[in-house]
Amino acid sequence: MSALPHLSSDFFAWLWYTTEISGGHLELNGAELQIWVDDRLSFRSPSEEQAGALLTGSDAPRGAEAKAALSAGKVIRELRLRIAWQDREYGVTLAGPGLDMRGLTLPPVPGEVGDEADVLYARMEAVEQLWRVIATLYQRFAKVRTTDAWSDEVLPGVVTWLSETA
Amino acid sequence: MGFFKGRLTLRRYRIEDPIPHDFRDTFEASLEGQAFRDTAALSRGEESVGWVCPDNIMDTEFSVRDRWLFDHYILLAMRVDKKVLPAPLFKAMVAKRLEAWCGENQKDVAPARVRTDIRSAIEADLMNRTLPRVKVVMAAWHLAEGWLLIHNTSDKLNDKFRTLFRTTFGLVPAPFSPVDFLDQDPDLAAALSSQGTTDFTEVGR
Repeated sequence: MSALPHLSSDFFAWLWYTTEISGGHLELNGAELQIWVDDRLSFRSPSEEQAGALLTGSDAPRGAEAKAALSAGKVIRELRLRIAWQDREYGVTLAGPGLDMRGLTLPPVPGEVGDEADVLYARMEAVEQLWRVIATLYQRFAKVRTTDAWSDEVLPGVVTWLSETA
Repeated sequence: MGFFKGRLTLRRYRIEDPIPHDFRDTFEASLEGQAFRDTAALSRGEESVGWVCPDNIMDTEFSVRDRWLFDHYILLAMRVDKKVLPAPLFKAMVAKRLEAWCGENQKDVAPARVRTDIRSAIEADLMNRTLPRVKVVMAAWHLAEGWLLIHNTSDKLNDKFRTLFRTTFGLVPAPFSPVDFLDQDPDLAAALSSQGTTDFTEVGR
C-alpha cells in the first residue's frame, strides 16, 4: 500500500484531463460540481522531487506549454483547482504524494456564525467537505485506473486531447 | 491565524490510537509538561521547542482550556526558537579585533590561542544581543475522527511537530496516504497499488 502515493501524479493528470473535456462540470453523488484547473501547474521529471517547470496564469492549464510538458514525460507535481457546488467555492493547490493542500481558500463563513469557536467549527467543516469531494474524485480515479477503461478510453482520449494544441 | 481567518496550507495525518477518557486533564498536563521554555541563553544553533497557546505565542497557560480546547477540536501551536549567529557581522568583528590585537602587540599574525579567544568572546557577545528566529506551527486535531491538520507543509517542521506531538501525547500521527480514501474497498486499494505511474510519452505510440 505504501506504493500508492506515487499515483498522485496520475490522479492529477486524470483530473486535469477529465475537467477539461467535461467543460468543468462533473456529477458527484447526485450533485453538480464545477471544477477546473485554475492558474497553477507544476511539473517535475519522474526521477526528481523538485519542480522542473512551473506554469502560472489563467491560461496555463489550457496552453500548449502545459500539454507539451505532459507529452514530454514530465509528471504533475501540483495543480491549483477551483471547485464550486451549490453556493460554495474553494480554491486549493493539491501537491505531492500525500495531497497537501496549499493556499486553500474557503467559502465565507455564514454571517450568523457567532463566536471564535463557531468560526473554527464552520471552517473545519468546510475543509472536511472539500476533503470528501477530493476523496470521491480519487475513488472515481482509482476505479478507472484499475480497469480497462484506463487503457481503452482514458489514454486514447488523453492522446487526442494533448495533440489538439501540443 | 489561519484556522480562524485567511488561507490555509495543510498536511494531513491520522491519529489511530484511542485517546484517554480523561483526556482534558491528561492533555492539559501533557501540554504543560512540554510547554515552550523561553531560554535567553540559547547557544549557537541550539533550539528551544515546545507548546504555546494558539492565541498568543508568549503564553503557556494551558489551565485555561478554552484557549486550546474547542469541543472536539484541540488547537496546537508549536514554537521553535533558534539563535543564529549573523555570520557576516561576526566575521567582520573578528577581523577588526584581530587587526587591533596585532597593532597593539606589533605582530603580523595573532597566535591560534588569541584567535580562538577573540572568536569565542565575539560569539558570546553577539549571541547575547541577537534575538532568536521564531517559528510557530499551528495544527488542528479532531479528537472524535482522529485526524490532525498541520498548518505547514515543510517536511522538516512537520517532522519536528510530529516528534513533539508523540513525546507529549504518546500518540503517533501517521502520514495521510490517498489509500485512506479507499479504506472501504480494500480490493480496489490492492488493485491500485499494483499500478505504476503512467508515462504519457508512451501513450501515443
